[in-house]
Amino acid sequence: MNSAETGNIGEASPARWSDVIGGAVIRAIGFFCFWLALTRGDPGDLGPGLIAAAAATWASLKLLPAEQWGFRPIKFAGFALHFFHQSIVAGVDVALRALHPRLPLQPGFVTYQAQLPPGTKRNTFCAIMSLMPGTLPCGTSGDGSLAIHCLDVTQPVVEQLSMEETLCMGALGSAKSDA
Amino acid sequence: MSLVMDILTICAVSAGALFFLAGTVGLLRFPDTLTRLHALTKVDNLGLGLIVLGLLPQTSSLLAVKLVIVWLLVQLSGAVVTQLIAGAVRQHGADG
Repeated sequence: MNSAETGNIGEASPARWSDVIGGAVIRAIGFFCFWLALTRGDPGDLGPGLIAAAAATWASLKLLPAEQWGFRPIKFAGFALHFFHQSIVAGVDVALRALHPRLPLQPGFVTYQAQLPPGTKRNTFCAIMSLMPGTLPCGTSGDGSLAIHCLDVTQPVVEQLSMEETLCMGALGSAKSDA
Repeated sequence: MSLVMDILTICAVSAGALFFLAGTVGLLRFPDTLTRLHALTKVDNLGLGLIVLGLLPQTSSLLAVKLVIVWLLVQLSGAVVTQLIAGAVRQHGADG
């Protein structure tokens, strides 16, 4: 009944050492590129940049340990496009409701049993959901289901969330076969 | 070509400003904290995205990268902080 406790679909398997080091190198390169963009690649700033990138990598590995994500670039690109489209729909939807003379709102909570296990992947899903039309995750209920605040509970919110989660799992590689 | 880019800039930045205006109207008109969070995050994200998109043709490539980074960081912080505020409101009420 409680899928959050019994179902381990997409549970991150313990990362191997080679994966950890590979992940750390990718993160370090990312942070260093960020530094280069901020400082216009000024040679005098390269030393502090290396130190900052190393410190940022250490902090990010502490706060967000490396997991095997089974990342799929093509599906992810498709999902990113879908996300852009949905954020435009979300912005237009809320803007029209705000400007509408009668203020058409039916706010309320909907509970949703997420298939993703608690952890980084579910948090990613929640972050994406908070930018999607009409939904705003507000934390976990006692039974492990997600409480979602909706602007309009008459919309088919649960169906929409379920569809988005499937897309999200496909893009981030959370289906069982990816492990 | 630069005329086309200027027109794109004017359209995108104006649309972005309109969305910021709509988000602020929502902030003032919506009835409670949680509905106001919807107004702030979703509409302002779109507004900022449009303003960044409009400014891209007017800048050097390095500055363009910085603008996109600003937009991504605002999206990330918006998505995370909104959920924290919403979770706190659900647990303790809007005043607690």
